[in-house]
Amino acid sequence: MIILFLKNLNKLIRKNNFQVAFIIIILILFLITFTSLITEFSPLENNSRNRLQSPSFTHYMGTDEFGRDVFARVLYGARNSIQVGISVVILTIIFGGVVGILAGYYSKLDNIIMRALDGIMAFPGIIIAISLAAIWGGGKYNIIIALSFSYFPKMARIVRSSILSIKDLEYIESAKAIGASNSRIIFKHILKNSISPIMVQASFNFARAILDEAALSFLGVGIMPPNPSLGGMISDARSFITVAPWIITFPGIFIVIIVLSFNLIGDGLRDLLDPHLQNNY
Amino acid sequence: MKKLFNISMTVLMILFLSIILIPDDLAVIEAQENQERYGGTINIAQKMAVAHLDSDNSTDWLITAMMNHVYEGLFEFDENLQAQPHLAKDYEITDDGRKYTVELRKGVLFHNGDEMTSDDVIASFNRWLEVNGAGSTVEPYFKEVEKVDDYTVNFIFEEPYAPFINILASPVSNQKFVVRHQDIIEEFGSNVITDHIGTGPYKYVDWIPDRNLRLERFENYQPSPLESSYYAGERIPYIENIVYEFITEPTVRVSGLQTGQFDFAEEVPTDQYEMFEANPEIEPVVIYPDQMAMFIMNNGQPPFDNKYARQAMVYALDLEELGYSMIGNPEFWRLEASLHEEGNPWHSSTAGEGIYNNHDPEKAKELLEKAGYDGTPLVILSGQDDRVERRGAIAIKDQLSEIGVEVELQLFDRPTVVERRAREEGWNIHLSTFSKIVPDPQIHQGWTGTNKWILNWDDEDSAKMDEIFARMMVETDYEARYEIVEEFYDFMWETVPYFNMLDFSRLNLVNSSVQNFQEAWQPFFWNVWFE
Repeated sequence: MIILFLKNLNKLIRKNNFQVAFIIIILILFLITFTSLITEFSPLENNSRNRLQSPSFTHYMGTDEFGRDVFARVLYGARNSIQVGISVVILTIIFGGVVGILAGYYSKLDNIIMRALDGIMAFPGIIIAISLAAIWGGGKYNIIIALSFSYFPKMARIVRSSILSIKDLEYIESAKAIGASNSRIIFKHILKNSISPIMVQASFNFARAILDEAALSFLGVGIMPPNPSLGGMISDARSFITVAPWIITFPGIFIVIIVLSFNLIGDGLRDLLDPHLQNNY
Repeated sequence: MKKLFNISMTVLMILFLSIILIPDDLAVIEAQENQERYGGTINIAQKMAVAHLDSDNSTDWLITAMMNHVYEGLFEFDENLQAQPHLAKDYEITDDGRKYTVELRKGVLFHNGDEMTSDDVIASFNRWLEVNGAGSTVEPYFKEVEKVDDYTVNFIFEEPYAPFINILASPVSNQKFVVRHQDIIEEFGSNVITDHIGTGPYKYVDWIPDRNLRLERFENYQPSPLESSYYAGERIPYIENIVYEFITEPTVRVSGLQTGQFDFAEEVPTDQYEMFEANPEIEPVVIYPDQMAMFIMNNGQPPFDNKYARQAMVYALDLEELGYSMIGNPEFWRLEASLHEEGNPWHSSTAGEGIYNNHDPEKAKELLEKAGYDGTPLVILSGQDDRVERRGAIAIKDQLSEIGVEVELQLFDRPTVVERRAREEGWNIHLSTFSKIVPDPQIHQGWTGTNKWILNWDDEDSAKMDEIFARMMVETDYEARYEIVEEFYDFMWETVPYFNMLDFSRLNLVNSSVQNFQEAWQPFFWNVWFE
């Protein structure tokens, strides 16, 4: 009885988590889409005589060391972060998908591709991203490429393993028997049935990309100043942590909220799409 | 009654006798206090690590600051920026300013126990001419160094060379001349020196790259007989050990000082000044005048190959606004067009008149048009770790956008910046910090003139600038030389190869238990003791 109750409670909390995360994401997307309507301040305009002002009704989150409005910077910074997140997810799905399909479906290529991917995966993703950003220089587009490069092997593995588990099933055999082409089998029958692990991985990649973008900007190889980025703001605000804690607090809170929400959505998706977990409910 | 009288008289006699017989109390107390001052280890948080410890072989200012404890110069600067004899006892200039005869102090010991003689001075000087930055600028005018006896050396020039003593004593890195043991010079030649035998109050113990440098008191140190004043005069090593830790993160330096891990923290954020001041265990040390934030242009590439475009930059910038952006607290910066601080014999109060701190965007636009600027975005190349360079670049981008100039920021780590700014193309503006403590106006020759430093300045104006410096070099009379210096300022602000945006001071922190700490531009720890 108690176990059953706990299970139901667990289910309820999980569901609530998903809902809360979803609402937060919608809210943040709304804020960053209509930023120019919400705040009159520019994230780049300096007004040094007005520096380090504490939060007020004019500046909801105070001002930073250049007198720029922290609220505007946080919103534009979050917009940059989410742009990086979306782009990285799309690129990893495309590259990871193609490589994963090649490795999974054509067993001759499997060994070569997977060993090469193992090689890339041996390095921590952030280290690869830092090295690439150091070679190419910082900037939004370079970060997107660097992060996609470090994430795509994992995506390729997931695609490959789901293809491997599907490609020997009877319905694929029968499709082959009636003369369906390889591309038809891959796209119509295999990919369609392996979409859920890709979705789950994509949502985690999204959260990870935002976190890593913040880390790269914090280290100074990410989005170039004066363009706002949450990690860069935190990095710059370190010197002011005792005199103007709001400059470091708000971007920090935003990173936590965004990353947490996407992770919760990822969890929810996994539970929803995983047949084994579904049976438990 | 008589008995009482006798007793009182006896007591009185004893008291009188004791006053005469017991030695001078004050002297005893002072001797005791002096004795109590000795001992202890001072832990210092330095803002950066160094590549090596050879000051002749590097422009790194931290090397000079630390090795000032180990090596000493023939001359050292005092509080008023006057060069005073230090290892030298005296000197005289003869032959119309061509010959400097320097008499050395007798009995000065090296850390290995040998006495310093003219042989050590000559060996060190020859290396200085060959390796050191200032040495190599002196070298073309220098004829020979001559040993008169063990304690007298002649330095002979081809033609009069006015700034010689000031350059020898220069507190600036890669300029100062220090005396090293001749064995060391023989062993290392022009290579980087890794073993250190000097005459200073502290001995080199060991150095772990990126971690720390340890120094130890030199028991047989022979101090200068002059009264102590900054780097000149008597140095007494009260403290037993000095440990320099290299801590790159400012917040770590601050918290280390607050917790007592460090006794001294170099360059901490000025925005927390009030907080430091309120803490009784911390003594904030503001060093002023100290640094200049410089706006440097690539004079070899359009648009800055035209002086009107360069002048436009001065009018375009709101320097006060920049002060708030770069430094913040107005107690830590001030606007100053002269390259020498007020009180310095080479300061000019009229430098930059009419153009400096004359924010006029319309005039800037006009001048840019006159220069034929075609609207190509300007590249600012600067360091991303340095607070002043990074914040300055961001603020300048914002200000230049107001006059319709598009700016691209390229902020990199220090080695990349140094490598890229040395190229003739690929950048237009570079921000840099210069030391305000310049011993002699001749030093500006190293930055200014035809193809000097990174400016790529090569036209009629730069040739005229070369000619000004050539006259400055041979003029030994102060008044006449000062006129040439004024001419330099006027011409500099007319042609603007680079300019000083503002002066700023750094904030160091010292633990309140450290006594007699001097607010010098390079922190030193002789004549300092613990409470």
